[in-house]
Amino acid sequence: MNPIPPGRVSKCPASNMKTVFKILGIVLVLLGGHLLLSSFMAGMLPMHALDGARLSLPSLDGTRIPPYRFPFRQAGLTDRQAAAHLLSRFTYGASPGQVDAVVTMGLENWWAQQLAADLPDDSLSQCLSQYDALQLTNQRVADLYPKPGQVARMAIRDGVIDKDSVKTDRKEYREFIRSYMQEKGLKPEQDLFRQFFCQKVLRAAYSHNQLQEVMTDFWFNHFNVSITKNDCAGFIPAYERDVIRPNALGRFGDLLVKTAKSPAMLYYLDNFSSSAPLPGGQEMGGDTTLMAKVQQARKNRGLNENYAREVMELHTLGVDGGYTQQDVTQAARVLTGWTVYPMNDAGKGLLTRFSEDQLASRGFVHEGDFLFNANRHDKGEKIVLGHTFPAGGGYDEGVTLLGMLAHHPSTARFIARKLAVRFVSDDPPQTLINKMTKTFLEKDGDIRQVLITMVSAPEFWSATAVREKTKSPFELAIGAVRSLHGVIEQPYPLYNWVSKMGEKKYYYQAPTGFPDKGSYWINTGSLLNRMNFGLALATGRIPGVRIDLVALNNGHEPEDAQAALVIFSKIMLPERNLDATIKRLTPMLNDPNLAQKVDAASVRTEDGGGMGAGRNGADGGQSGTAGIQPDNDMAMVAANDGRAAQLGQVVGIIIGSPEFQRR
Amino acid sequence: MVTRRGFLKGGGLALLGVGLMGGIPAFMAEAAASDKIFRPYKRKKVLVCIFQRGAMDGLMAVTPFTDTYLQSARPGLSLSAAKSGNGNPLIDLDGRWGLHPGMKAFEPLFRDGRLGIVHGIGSPNNTRSHFDAQDYMESGTPFNKGTASGWLNRAVGLLGHDAVTPFTAVSLTSALPRSFYGDHPSVAISNLQDFAIELKSNPAAANTAARSFEDLYDQTSSGLLQQTGKESFEAMKMLQAADVRHYRPANGAIYPTSPLGNSLRQIAQLIKMDVGLEVAFTESNGWDTHFNQGTDNGIFARNVTDLSNSIAAFWTDLDASQDDVTLMTMTEFGRTVHQNGTGGTDHGRGSCNFILGKDIAGGKVHGQVAALATENLEDGRDLPVTTDFRSVFSAVADGHLQIANDKVLFPDWVGAKAPVMKG
Repeated sequence: MNPIPPGRVSKCPASNMKTVFKILGIVLVLLGGHLLLSSFMAGMLPMHALDGARLSLPSLDGTRIPPYRFPFRQAGLTDRQAAAHLLSRFTYGASPGQVDAVVTMGLENWWAQQLAADLPDDSLSQCLSQYDALQLTNQRVADLYPKPGQVARMAIRDGVIDKDSVKTDRKEYREFIRSYMQEKGLKPEQDLFRQFFCQKVLRAAYSHNQLQEVMTDFWFNHFNVSITKNDCAGFIPAYERDVIRPNALGRFGDLLVKTAKSPAMLYYLDNFSSSAPLPGGQEMGGDTTLMAKVQQARKNRGLNENYAREVMELHTLGVDGGYTQQDVTQAARVLTGWTVYPMNDAGKGLLTRFSEDQLASRGFVHEGDFLFNANRHDKGEKIVLGHTFPAGGGYDEGVTLLGMLAHHPSTARFIARKLAVRFVSDDPPQTLINKMTKTFLEKDGDIRQVLITMVSAPEFWSATAVREKTKSPFELAIGAVRSLHGVIEQPYPLYNWVSKMGEKKYYYQAPTGFPDKGSYWINTGSLLNRMNFGLALATGRIPGVRIDLVALNNGHEPEDAQAALVIFSKIMLPERNLDATIKRLTPMLNDPNLAQKVDAASVRTEDGGGMGAGRNGADGGQSGTAGIQPDNDMAMVAANDGRAAQLGQVVGIIIGSPEFQRR
Repeated sequence: MVTRRGFLKGGGLALLGVGLMGGIPAFMAEAAASDKIFRPYKRKKVLVCIFQRGAMDGLMAVTPFTDTYLQSARPGLSLSAAKSGNGNPLIDLDGRWGLHPGMKAFEPLFRDGRLGIVHGIGSPNNTRSHFDAQDYMESGTPFNKGTASGWLNRAVGLLGHDAVTPFTAVSLTSALPRSFYGDHPSVAISNLQDFAIELKSNPAAANTAARSFEDLYDQTSSGLLQQTGKESFEAMKMLQAADVRHYRPANGAIYPTSPLGNSLRQIAQLIKMDVGLEVAFTESNGWDTHFNQGTDNGIFARNVTDLSNSIAAFWTDLDASQDDVTLMTMTEFGRTVHQNGTGGTDHGRGSCNFILGKDIAGGKVHGQVAALATENLEDGRDLPVTTDFRSVFSAVADGHLQIANDKVLFPDWVGAKAPVMKG
C-alpha cells in the first residue's frame, strides 16, 4: 500500500467552499442581495435548520433549556458588534461575511446551533478521510507504530541485523531500519503525529461546529497530556478523538472519569503503574531465586501519587481547593489498580488464562483499553476529603471518588473561573464566576449550561471584555486563514508556524497545559514571528496554503495601498474601529518611492511570475487542485506584480498588527 | 506580567534609525555598531546551562578506572588509562578518575582549575523515565509534577532587579524548555538571525512592513502589545547592529558545526554584545545509548567530543568575558553499571556533570562514589545518587548569580549546598 504522504491533501472543504463562494458571488451580484450568501457562509447549512425552535435545546437531563437572550444591547453593542464579539470568542475567527450571517440568523440561534454541535461536516470528513491513521484504535497504534528502540530489538530478534551493527547515528543504519519497517508494515510514530497535527489544523479551520473545536482545545489543555512523554504519545490521538471531543460540551464528570481511564492519561501521570505495595517481610525463607523474583516484583510495585495529586490540583479542586497531602495519598490508594489493558501478548500474561467472566468475578474491570486490576488494588480502608471508603471497595471506590471531586464546590469555582478566563478576559469579574459556579453545581456540571450562563451575563458583553483576549498563536494562524478564505492543501507548514510562534501543540510538557493569558503568548521572541507569519501568509509564502486576495474583493484589485487597507480591514477585522490605524499607515504605504522599490524588488524575485503575491501560495509544482489558477500571461503578471506584492504586504501588515492579535 | 525594562525606557538605541531590516547596507551597519550604546545597567554575570537529554553514561564520561568491579561489569565497554593496544586511553585526571579520550578539550580546563566535575549526581526520585526525570530536574521539584514554573525561570525572578532587556533569559531552542516555564520574562530563539522582519527577496517591502509594524505597535491601546512591540523592535535593532550574520569568534575558536556548537556560538555572541543576558539555556541530544555505545569510538565518543569541543570553543571565544560566565551541564540520570545485551547501557541513577567557570572549585571530581560492588549499587545495579542535583544547582546559582533564596528556587528541598564553588 502506498501511504498517503502526511500533510498532503488533494481536496479540502475550503476548495469546495471557495467554488461555492464564487458561484454564490455571482448569484449575489445577480440578486443584488447579501443575505443568502451571508447565511450560507455562517454555517454552510440549509436555511430550514435556522428555525426558532433551536432556541431551546434539550439539556443533558432531558428537560428543555429555557429560552435566553443575550444582553448585548444593554452593554451598548450593536447587533454586528455583538456578533463579531461572539464569533471572536467561540470560533477560530470569523470568515468573511460571517458577522452578517450571524446577525441575520440571530445570535441566539447561532449559539444554539453551536451548542448542539451537530451541523453536518461532510466536506471536512471527506478531507480528513484521506489520513489513514486518524481512526486507528490504540491497539492498532501500538501494533503499527513501534518506538524507535523497539524496532531495533525486533530486527535483532528476527535476525535481520546483528546487535553489533546497531548504529543509531548512521544514515545507512536508519535507511535499513526504514526499509525493515516497511517490510513489516510498521510506520514511524512521527507519521501518526503529523496526521494528527494536520487534522487539528483542518478541523479548526473548516469545522462548522466551531464551538466544539474550541471546547475540545480547552479541555485538552485542561486535561493536558504531552507527546514529549513517550509512553503516552501514541495514545494521544485517540484521547482527543474518543475522550475529549465527544464530551467537550457534555458533563464535566464524564470528562473526568473518561480521562482518568484513558491510556494517554494513565501513562502521562503514571497511574498505570500505581499499586498497593506488596507486603514486605522474610516470608520467603531461604529460597533465593524466589526472593529475587519477589524483589523484582516489589520493585515494580508501589504507590504513585502523581495522578491523584494532579487530579485534585489541576483537574478539579484547584491548588487552594481544600485538600491535604493526606488526601492525595489516600486518593492515590483509592485509584491503585487503575491501569491500561495490556496491548501485547507478553503483557497480557495471566489475564489470558481467565475468561472475562472469571476476571469480573474477581473484581477486575475490563472496558476497552482500561483495566482495573484488582490484584494491584489497595484493599484497605481509605479516607479522602472526610469521606470513608470502607475496606474491600474495589473499582467502584475510584468512580465514587471522581464523582465527589466532579461535584465539589471548589471544582465548580475552579472550572467556572477557567472557562471565564478563556472566553471573557484574563482577569474575569468575580460576579460572573459566581453565576457560572452556581449553574455548574445546580446543573450537575453540564458544560453547555455553564456556557449559556456565561454568555447570558452582562459581564460577557461589557467593554472590559470586548477585544480583551489575546489570540494564541494557533488562534492567530487559523483565524488569519479563515479571515481570508484560505485553502489549506498542506496543514503541516501552518502547524510549524504555530510552533514557531510559541505554541507547539500537543508538546506542552507540564500537566498544567499552556497558560491561558496574553502575557504568556506575547513576548519578544514570539511577536516578530507573528508579524512575519502575517507577511508570509499574505504574500503566499506559506507552502500549502492558498489565498486569493483579489477574489475576496469580488475580483477587483484595490487601487492603492489606502484602498487596500480600508477594504481588507473591513473584511478581516469586522466591527473594529481602524480609522486611526488607516490614517497612520497610509502615508507610509503610499510613499511613491517606496512603491517603486517594492515594484522593482518583486519583479526581481527569483520565482518571478510564479509569485503573484497573494495569488498563489502553493509551493512549486504542488498545486493543481481546484481553485484559482495563476495567471498565465507573464507580461500581465509582471505588470501587476508591483501592486499584487503591495496588496500582500498590506494584508500581511493587517495580520501582524496589534489589532489582529486581539479577539 | 509585564516587567518594566529600564534599558528601553532610557531610550536605548534611539540613535539607530528605524527600519534597518533585511538587507542593511554594510556601511550603515558599521556606523550603527560603532555608536556608543548607552547602557543604564551594570554588566551582569551569566549562567549557561546545557541539558544533555537522554541520560549520559557518567561512568563512561568520567571513569573510575581503577575499579575492577566496573571492568568486569562492562567487559565490552571499558576503557583503560594505560597506553596499550590500539584505542586511545582515558585521560588520567588524578590516579582514580579518567576522562573519556573524546573529551581531551576538557583536559586543560580541568588542569587549570576552571572545570569541576560532580560524580554521583542525580535526583532523589528514582524514576528511570526520561520524561519524568527531565521534568523533575527542570521544574526543580522531584516529587511534584504540577509545579508550573521551571527552576531557571524562578532564578530569573530572583536576580533582584527587573529584566533589563528582552535578552535576560534566552533559550537557544525551538520551543521554551520546561526549565524556563513561568512568569518571568524568558524567550526561546532558535536562531538569532530570525530576529528580523522578513519578506523574502523583497527587502524594501520588508522595510516598509517593519516601519508600519513599529508604528502600529507604538500606537496600540493594549499595554502588553505596546510594551512588547517596543522591546521586540529594540531587540531586533540590537542584533542587527551587531550584524550577527557575520560573526567571527575570537581567538581562533572553532565551534563544531553541530546543533550544540551553533547554540553556544550564539550564546557567546549575546554575551559579547552585552545585551543583558543573564541566564542562557540550550541542549544536547543523543545520550540514550542502549545500543553499541562504543568505547573510544562510536556514538558515545562522538557525543562527548561534540560536547567538549563545543564548550571549549565557547570558552575560548568568550575571551575576556570568561570572568562573568559559568557554564553547567545536566542530565536526567545515569546508566546501568552493567552493559546490556546490545552493547549499550540501560537507564540508571547517578551520573556526572561538568561545571566551568572562574569561581568554580575546579580541577577536582566532587562527590562520593564507592567501589562499584553489587552491594554498593542502588537496586543492585546502578551508581547510587549521592549528590542531590539541587545541592549543585543551588550552589552554582547562588554562588555565581548571587541568588540566595533556596526556598523559592527549590521549594521542598532542605539540604546543604555542594562545595563546588570557590571560597
